[in-house]
Amino acid sequence: MSEFNFKILRVSLTDNKTLTEHLSPEIMFRFLGGRGLGVKLIYDELKSGVDPLSPDNILIFAVGPLTATSVPTAGRFVVITKSPLTGTIFDSHCGGYFGAQLRKAGYVAIVIHGRSSTPAYLWIDDDKVEIKDATHLWGLDTYETTDRLLDETGPKAQVACIGPAGENGVKLAAIINDKHRAAGRGGVGAVMGSKGLKAVVVKGSKSPSVSDEDSLESAVKRARLLIKKNPVTNKALPVYGTAVLVNLINEFGMLPTHNFQEGTFNDAEGVSGEKILERLLVKTYRCHGCPIGCGRITRVNDIEIGGPEYETVWAFGPQCGINDLETITLANHKCNLYGLDTISVGSTIGCAIELTEKGLMESQLHFGQIEGLLDMIDAIAYKRGLGAELAEGSRSLAEKHGAPELSMHVKGLEIPAYDPRGAQGHALGYATSNRGGCHLRSYMIGPEVMGSPVRLDRDRTEGKPELVILYQNLSAAMDSLVVCRFTNFAWTIDDYADMISAAMGIPIGGDEFLKIGERIWTLERLFNVREGLTAADDRLPKRFFKPLPEGGSRNRVVHLDELLPKYYQLRKWDEKGIPTKALISELEIG
Amino acid sequence: MTLSVEELAKMIDHTALKADTKRSKIKQLCEEALTYEFGAVCINSIHVEYAAELLKNSDVKVCCVVGFPLGTNLSSVKAFEAKEAVRLGAEEIDMVMNVGALRDGNIELVQSDIEAVVRASGDAHVKVILETGLLIDDQKREACRIARKAGAHFVKTSTGFGPMGATPYDVKLMREVVGSTMGVKAAGGIRTFKDALIMIDAGANRLGTSSGVSIIEDYRWARYSTSWMQPEKPCWRCPSRAANLNKQPKDVYLWYKQRCITCPHRDENIFND
Repeated sequence: MSEFNFKILRVSLTDNKTLTEHLSPEIMFRFLGGRGLGVKLIYDELKSGVDPLSPDNILIFAVGPLTATSVPTAGRFVVITKSPLTGTIFDSHCGGYFGAQLRKAGYVAIVIHGRSSTPAYLWIDDDKVEIKDATHLWGLDTYETTDRLLDETGPKAQVACIGPAGENGVKLAAIINDKHRAAGRGGVGAVMGSKGLKAVVVKGSKSPSVSDEDSLESAVKRARLLIKKNPVTNKALPVYGTAVLVNLINEFGMLPTHNFQEGTFNDAEGVSGEKILERLLVKTYRCHGCPIGCGRITRVNDIEIGGPEYETVWAFGPQCGINDLETITLANHKCNLYGLDTISVGSTIGCAIELTEKGLMESQLHFGQIEGLLDMIDAIAYKRGLGAELAEGSRSLAEKHGAPELSMHVKGLEIPAYDPRGAQGHALGYATSNRGGCHLRSYMIGPEVMGSPVRLDRDRTEGKPELVILYQNLSAAMDSLVVCRFTNFAWTIDDYADMISAAMGIPIGGDEFLKIGERIWTLERLFNVREGLTAADDRLPKRFFKPLPEGGSRNRVVHLDELLPKYYQLRKWDEKGIPTKALISELEIG
Repeated sequence: MTLSVEELAKMIDHTALKADTKRSKIKQLCEEALTYEFGAVCINSIHVEYAAELLKNSDVKVCCVVGFPLGTNLSSVKAFEAKEAVRLGAEEIDMVMNVGALRDGNIELVQSDIEAVVRASGDAHVKVILETGLLIDDQKREACRIARKAGAHFVKTSTGFGPMGATPYDVKLMREVVGSTMGVKAAGGIRTFKDALIMIDAGANRLGTSSGVSIIEDYRWARYSTSWMQPEKPCWRCPSRAANLNKQPKDVYLWYKQRCITCPHRDENIFND
């Protein structure tokens, strides 16, 4: 592999300086790139206790060794930082086309330090790097920002930017590429805003080199075939988008409704992927190098909108008791414009509604009522009135109003669209996620609900810790390549290992690939421990220990007490959830 | 159960039997069968000659369905179809039994129907599809005995177009009747490696499935965890749970549901998953 692939760009916004560094191959071999590389750099370089919105925090945009190669879906990028929402290490992923351009410009990562005294944007045109003034862009939404920057830099460039939410330090703020692809979770947009960085614009013309082109081509050919053979990646996702899950998850009684008070939404059919296809779809959208094409471009009120996908439908739909597909889609659009995470925004609004209906706070919001929803998103983005409270996330909101149990979060991150009472493995995945309430760290919905790769009894606890760890390690390694999570329906561990072997020239098998994932996962854990997180943070909201009243998951509760000790034991962590010295030594991350 | 990928692949009849199957699909099916070294491709007679050409000089056999999917053709028609299929290159024949005759108790007709196909098939192996979802247990046992007596080589659970697919319960029952002298093919609804392994564990030595590629590819997951094979809810694969009044004769449907009344797992049959 040539040196080209190991180059990172360091940017000091405080000093208005940039520096190119060559990474040692050893780091790439042990952490691959993307999430793993970012975690390693943050762990090594960020002091403990740093305020995430201070200049001392580090913001990393990273791609991986497969990015912009012929590997399907390998055009994504990941943002790694310390999250202002969770206080944990955080990686937030984004599709679109930015990642491929970054790699083509010759970088596997941009590491951003400091804070600019005036609004700035970073312009990377192959080897030419400039920190440019963005005063004229400050205050603009992501659509206007993208359009203006493309006018300035040329149509071939790609823009990753923040909107007003990021500028205003909203802890639910996202970074947006291509106007509607979001590095949504964890408030990474707020970190970018805190640095005075409005956008990163990149254009590249280089072809990433790979170690063994023939082997990679062979692995890619096979990978494409597997995507074509798989019913999820070849039928369900391309035809209906991710919202194909609405009806399925509702049938299982796991579609969180009214802030997780119920698991069944009576009007699920009306907000389903099938209904989006019938009523709103204009065309599908595919990210760089993607043969799946799960993205939706819809139209409401003559506005062309990117989305909604499953989590967004849920967040502004069942979570808030709303069955109006147009309103849900418009809410999605507002989040795209302002640069907001739809999951956390919708979930926090759902929390606010429950607080209101229980008489714990005053607002005009009510379950099932569309009036006020869109206005509340405006208020969150600009931190106006009650919106300023919601802008801090549901944990802060619920604590402030004396009912912390009404925030459906783990480690401060709002839990997405699967009620964990209906799937024990998925529940454990939520509780132990290093970045908080996340469905993607270990997508046990695959085996526990969708039957992929095989169907598991979702109520059993036996064997689940082992599989959660398997998925967590796999996702950490996959996220370091960087490829789309949906490939996981079609590819097995060995396929990823084959591709990385060919691309990097390191002959690794599936076991070694998983070991890299374990190394990354453990390092994330060590970071969080260093920040003061403990086993008490591997928790779930109290609500999940009371049975659901009705639906396909009625009478079920989460059995975390059965799952967690076994999980720690298999992880080789002590009873306090701290990785043992033996493990640290084994993984060579001490 | 320790089964290599190659051993599992050899047990699979890679199947495409739908009405909309195009020639390109047959080509793909055969290419996949060669790549994965499946035991056979299972196809309709119209595609036999083409598939035989694509698979010549390989170990992958061409298996042709006959009297498919209802089994209600004249015996002479089934025999003719089998003979033609063999002439065009089929090495295995999957015939659908005359289910109505069995339900009538017309054992002679069922047996002569099978015998006619066995004779017409020459050296080709004949598998008799019972369509278990249309039968009660005694009828399944009777059908197995008739198939054995008529000289068939395999009994097979289902067409995949009937009221239910293969269940481990039926596979086990069929294996118990035919013993080790005949083969048992499980077909219908086998989509994952777990489905496949459960059928094999119940006694199947051939599997009919259109998901052969996924099964073999996903079987590589098995290496990374034994938890995939954790026990399931007892009702999941029970034919009584799968019984459907809209698809089955009323008497058969009620016979299946009657079993639920005395089932020890009755209280566990709560949820719809």
